Amino acid sequence: MHFTILKDCKIITVMLIKICLSGDGGQGVQLISDIICLAAFVDGWQVSQIPNYGLEQRGGVSLSFIKISDQEITYPKFSQPDILLIMSAQARERTKRYSEISNIQFPASNQIQNPNVKGENIKILDIENYKDILHKENIKFLNYNIFFLGLLSKILEEKNICKIDEVVGLLEKKLIDKAGWNENKRAFEIGVDIEY
Amino acid sequence: MDKTRKFLTGAEIVVQACVDAGAEMTYGYPITPATEVFTGWIKRGKKYLQTEDEIAAGFGVCGAVLAGQKVFTSTSGPGHILMQDALSMAEGMRLPFVAIVAQRGGPSSGTVIYSQQEVILACFGGNGEGLRLVYSPSNLSELYTLTRQAFDDAWHYRFPAILLTDGYSLKMRGVVGLSQSQLENILPHPLISRDKVVHWRNIYTFEEELHQEISEARKDFAAVAEIIACSESWQTKDAEILLVAHGIVAAAAKEAVDQLQARGKKVGLFRPITLRPFDRKNLDKVASQANLKKIVVIESSAGQLARLVRDQLAPEISVPFEYMQFPGLGVETETIISHFF
Amino acid sequence: MPQDSPARFCPGCGHPIVLMMLNKVLTNLQLTKEAVLGLDIGCSLLAWNFLAINTFQTHHGRVTPTMMGFKRARPDSICFGYTGDGGAYAIGLQSLLYSAKRDEPITILVVNNAVYGMTGGQTAPTTLTGQKTDSDPTGYQGTPWLGPELIRTIAHPKAYLARTAVNDFQQMQDFIKKAIEVQQDGHFSLVEFLSFCPTNWHTAGKATLDYLETMKEVFKTGEI
Repeated sequence: MHFTILKDCKIITVMLIKICLSGDGGQGVQLISDIICLAAFVDGWQVSQIPNYGLEQRGGVSLSFIKISDQEITYPKFSQPDILLIMSAQARERTKRYSEISNIQFPASNQIQNPNVKGENIKILDIENYKDILHKENIKFLNYNIFFLGLLSKILEEKNICKIDEVVGLLEKKLIDKAGWNENKRAFEIGVDIEY
Repeated sequence: MDKTRKFLTGAEIVVQACVDAGAEMTYGYPITPATEVFTGWIKRGKKYLQTEDEIAAGFGVCGAVLAGQKVFTSTSGPGHILMQDALSMAEGMRLPFVAIVAQRGGPSSGTVIYSQQEVILACFGGNGEGLRLVYSPSNLSELYTLTRQAFDDAWHYRFPAILLTDGYSLKMRGVVGLSQSQLENILPHPLISRDKVVHWRNIYTFEEELHQEISEARKDFAAVAEIIACSESWQTKDAEILLVAHGIVAAAAKEAVDQLQARGKKVGLFRPITLRPFDRKNLDKVASQANLKKIVVIESSAGQLARLVRDQLAPEISVPFEYMQFPGLGVETETIISHFF
Repeated sequence: MPQDSPARFCPGCGHPIVLMMLNKVLTNLQLTKEAVLGLDIGCSLLAWNFLAINTFQTHHGRVTPTMMGFKRARPDSICFGYTGDGGAYAIGLQSLLYSAKRDEPITILVVNNAVYGMTGGQTAPTTLTGQKTDSDPTGYQGTPWLGPELIRTIAHPKAYLARTAVNDFQQMQDFIKKAIEVQQDGHFSLVEFLSFCPTNWHTAGKATLDYLETMKEVFKTGEI
């Protein structure tokens, strides 16, 4: 999440978090991605976001790549996320390579902090590990994405990236007038409270 | 909160630039990943026509600019190939044709996603000498300013102008500050009007006639090059290794340079902003630095940028070249960095 | 009628006749300043400096979409797309059909001589069955396209489609005038002119006129 660069002739530390969200098309991956990005943007962070698109999109896996940083971001894609959300079996298959150890080598150094490329610090949120709690709390398939949004906003609040309240605000703006709001709200709150 | 700070897709930014440039209309045909430029324009309530193919779109643009209307088109890949017919007429007749081209994988239908494989097509497509203006934005801010510039330069200098971007840039959302930069727009003017009768051809009877036309156009192009050829030299002072990259790959390369410099590596970046005309003056300047040991050309193609660089580099400059080529693939900062360890 | 250079049409070509009729009508209607003449690339291109009206060349098969763009940018102009049978019904057919279907208010003038003249006499969309050409030396086996009839199936009811011949001076002028009126009324118009090409028909004198009459048996003249 932090690494070193030379900027304006000074060595500085960059904060950069890379989040990859994945699920089946129709599970609402892009929706929760939009909310996370907006929350970070409103908080003054630099944000980039890019979906997969085209052929892959049609009835297949839906992916969203998010970068949040304190420095300007110019390249939106990455193969080593810090956080990886997997909401379906198809998505798990598709994102396997993202949790593999890369063969990129950075020389060790005392002064220089290397960026995260080895996938060893990756936090994987796999729906497989939440099947029990989702069942126990009676959360419907339709609301899985909002459950994970709750979980993600807790993680991001702990990292001082955005506040859960802000996310709630944006979520309300988007969904309060749509059918099933109460289920969504409930799923979010349970997600926030869960251990990860 | 800073009202000028927005979170937009590249496509939305391009559309905004076309609106701010005073474009009145677009002729287009849907093709991924350029479609959102077309539909984004339509969403703004502006005039448009969806034609039967890119050929009709391109020639619709030609007709419109002849009549003095500021218009543009947008396309990609196979559509870009079809567009070369109209671009060639625009080149021959010096028409202010503006095209937004989003590179996708090639050849053939390739991918709908991304590449840097349409560089040669943009610069030299058509059956002529490549007398067109090609801009390669490296970030969302430049996507805006270079689109504005494309309109201005096309109408000012009467060469077709191509804003050459890619699927990643148009589909990504990023933070951009679009302060209403007081860029003044050049006013369009009719090339054919009722006040004067012109007889205007693009085919000549004799070789000498064509040669004369081309000579004059080349002279004009060289003069324009003096004014608009543009590049960025990043951390190139005392560089031992010079990276050369354009567009979004240059953005990753820039990040790589910052990290490499922090580790004491003397790596710099030369970034062409106009691919055509190429900023050979500054390329030569950087490439002839005393400490330079090698040039590494990085691109999402199998050598299209490298071709331009080698062609433009002054023949008396002799530096070893290395190539990092990823046709159709994105290039991450980490990939570039790890190459140097 | 001023010309910058001597006319370069072949002796006996039908193009100059069509162009002179166009000029006559425009002059009578006092529309020479508003007129804009776009040319396909074929023998049509030779008209680039023929009339004292704004004229420009386009690309082969592309004059229709070019004039569509021009007219949409300047609706007060009178736009003509001047083309041969290849530019209209082969390489340019797609755009022609679409402009007609969209009812673009432009006038397409098709000079139909049943052959690709400029390139030396190959088979055209309107080549007659049995006609010997450069690309069908033993005689064309297919049947010709009937352009205006085809377009009628998809055009607006108020679109004007007609066919005439270069040896009927009055009819040519009548049809051109009508086409212009329809354009001014906001609709699509196309006039096809059955024409000669003695160079590529390898005919002379009466034989040329005879072949024109043969063409009239296949391509009916009149408003369609």
